[in-house]
Amino acid sequence: MKRQFSAGISRRTLLKTSAYAAVGTLAAPSLLRASSSEIVIGCAGSHTAWMEQIVAPHMKSAIGADILFEGTKSSVNLEKMASNKDAPYLSVVQMDDPVMIQAVEAELLTPITADAVPNMTDLRPDAVHMDGMWCNYVQPWAGVAYNTDMADGVPSWAALWDPANSGQVIIPSLQNTEGMWTLFVAAMLGSGKPFAEAQYEIDAAFAKLEELKPNLLSVYSTMSQAFNLLEQGEISMLAGNFSSYTLPRKAEGVPVDLAAPSEGIFAMPSGICLVKGGPNPELAQAYVNEMLGETMQAAIADFATSVPANTKVKAGAVIPDGVAIYSPDWAFVAKNRRDWIDRFDKLMAV
Amino acid sequence: MTSRIDRISLLAVPGLAYLAVIYALPLLILLAKSIRTPDGISFAEYAAFFSDDYNMGVLLRTLRVAALTTLLALLIAYPTAFAMNRAKGPMLTVFLVAMVLPMSLGVVVKAFAWSILFRANGFINTSLQWIGLTEKPVRMLFTETALVIGAANVFLPFMVLPIYAVVRQLDQRLPEAAASLGATPFFRFFHVTLPLTLPGVVAGSAFTFSMAISMYVIPSLIVGERQQTLSMLIARSFLYLRNEALGSTISAVLLAIAIIVVVFSSWLARRLEARQ
Repeated sequence: MKRQFSAGISRRTLLKTSAYAAVGTLAAPSLLRASSSEIVIGCAGSHTAWMEQIVAPHMKSAIGADILFEGTKSSVNLEKMASNKDAPYLSVVQMDDPVMIQAVEAELLTPITADAVPNMTDLRPDAVHMDGMWCNYVQPWAGVAYNTDMADGVPSWAALWDPANSGQVIIPSLQNTEGMWTLFVAAMLGSGKPFAEAQYEIDAAFAKLEELKPNLLSVYSTMSQAFNLLEQGEISMLAGNFSSYTLPRKAEGVPVDLAAPSEGIFAMPSGICLVKGGPNPELAQAYVNEMLGETMQAAIADFATSVPANTKVKAGAVIPDGVAIYSPDWAFVAKNRRDWIDRFDKLMAV
Repeated sequence: MTSRIDRISLLAVPGLAYLAVIYALPLLILLAKSIRTPDGISFAEYAAFFSDDYNMGVLLRTLRVAALTTLLALLIAYPTAFAMNRAKGPMLTVFLVAMVLPMSLGVVVKAFAWSILFRANGFINTSLQWIGLTEKPVRMLFTETALVIGAANVFLPFMVLPIYAVVRQLDQRLPEAAASLGATPFFRFFHVTLPLTLPGVVAGSAFTFSMAISMYVIPSLIVGERQQTLSMLIARSFLYLRNEALGSTISAVLLAIAIIVVVFSSWLARRLEARQ
C-alpha cells in the first residue's frame, strides 16, 4: 500500500528527491572543478597578497587559467596531498624545501621537465632539486625583524638572549619552516662552531634555546599575529622573519625593519612542484613555466622583495653585503623535524 | 496513531543520516586508528599518552581552562538572564542583539581586538595604572587569564540563552509565596529560584564546557604554542608530527570527556526535573 503524506508526496518520492539533492550537493564542487580552465594551487598563507594581485591576473591572460589558491602552511599542504593521494585535487603546490623532501618520499610529486617547462633551464643550478622534483621560484632572505621605535638595529643574533629584552621577543614554532633559523642560530651560539658544522649540533641548540625562555613573550605558529604585536610595539624583536614580509611593511611606513645580524642570514626555501596525478596536468605545467619565466619572476621578486631564481632577471631583493647567507641541510631537517617539534614544544611549554 | 508516530519519526532521518556520515563514521575511523597497529589491536598509544608528563599537563590545562571558562560565563550569564526576563520591548531586543550579534564576528577579529585590550599599553593596563592598582604594566597577553576571559566572551550566548529559556518559564508567584511566608531574599534565592533554574544552568554549562574543552582557534591565537590544549595537540599530531595514531588517541580522549559531560549533564537535568 502506498502511503501518502499530507502534502500529497509519497514516501518514495520524498526519499528519492532527498537522495538526488544530497548527491547533487556533494558532487557540486567536483562538477564545478571539472571546468578545464581551472586549477587549484596550494601555497603559503603569507603569499596570498601577491598571488591574488600578481599571479592570478597574469595566469588568466597568459595561459587562460582560472586559479584557485589555498593558502596555508607547507605541512598542511603536505597533509592535503597525502590525504588525497588517490584522487588529488591540487595541481601545483608551492611550499618549503624540507616539506618537499617529505612529499618526494611519500611519492606525491611528479618531476618538472625542461620539455614541459622550458623556463626551468634559466634557473640557477641550485634552484632545481632532486632531478626536477621541485624548483625554487624565489628566495626571500631571513633575519631578525625589529621595531624601529624600540631599537636601532640588531647587530647580532645574541641580542635575542640579551636580558635587556626580557619578554620582548617572539620566535616562530618549529612547525613553521622559519622556526629553523632560531634553532640553527642557537646551535651556532651554543656550540661556538661555524654554521656548516653547528647545524648538526642539535643538543647544543636546544640547551641554548632554553636560555632564551625568559625573553620570550610567545612562540607563534600564526605569523601575522606576531608581526602585528611587533608593529604595535608590544615586542621589540621577531626572530626568523623574512624579506618578503617585513620589507614591504617597512615600505608602507610601518616602524619595522629587517636586520641582517653579523653571524649570517638564511635563504627561505620557496619551492614549486607538480602534484602526481593532479588535475589538468598540461595547465599545471604551463602555470609552473610561467612562474619560472622572466615576467613573473621579476614581478614576484619586486612585490615580495625576494631574490629571483631565474638568472635572466635582475630585480627584487638584494642580499645584504658582507653577511653570510646560509642554506641548511634540508634532508637532515626533513629526517629529524618531527622529533624536534616534539622536543621544542615540551621545552618551550609554560 | 502508530502510523502517525512513524511518519513524524521520519523527520529525524535526514538529521540522523547527516550525523552518521559526517560525525559518527569519521569518529569510528579515528577510534579504530587509535587502537590498530601492524600487530593487531593495542592500547599502547593510550598508555604512552597517559604516561607522558607533557600530555598530562596539557590535559589538565584543557580541563582547568574549560572549567574556569564555564564558571566565568555562568557568573556573567545568570544575572543577565534575569535582566533579560525583566526587559520588555526594545530593551529585550537590545539584549538579544547584544547576545547574538558578536557571534557573527569571527574569532580571529576578536582575538586581534583582545590583543589591543590586553597589551602593555592597552586599555586594561592603562586603567589599572591610572586607578593606582598597579605601578607598571601587568603581563596579560599570552596568559591563561586572557584565554579564559576571551573564551567566556565567545561562549557567553550559549550559557545565557538556556538559562533565559528556563527563567522565562519560572512561576514568579513561587518566590513571592516564599516571601509572604517570611523567607529572606537570600533564602528565597537559594531554596526557590536557584533550584528551579538549575536545569538551564546545567544545559548552559554542558554547552559551554563541551565547546571550551574542544576549542582550537581561540587558544591558538590567545596563548599560542607554549600553552597547548588537547585540540592543539590533535592538530599538531596530524599536521606536523604526522602521527595519526597519536592524533586519533587524543581525539578519543577528548571525545570521552565530551561524552562524560553530556551524559552526566543529561542525568543531572533529568534528576532535577524529577525532583521538581
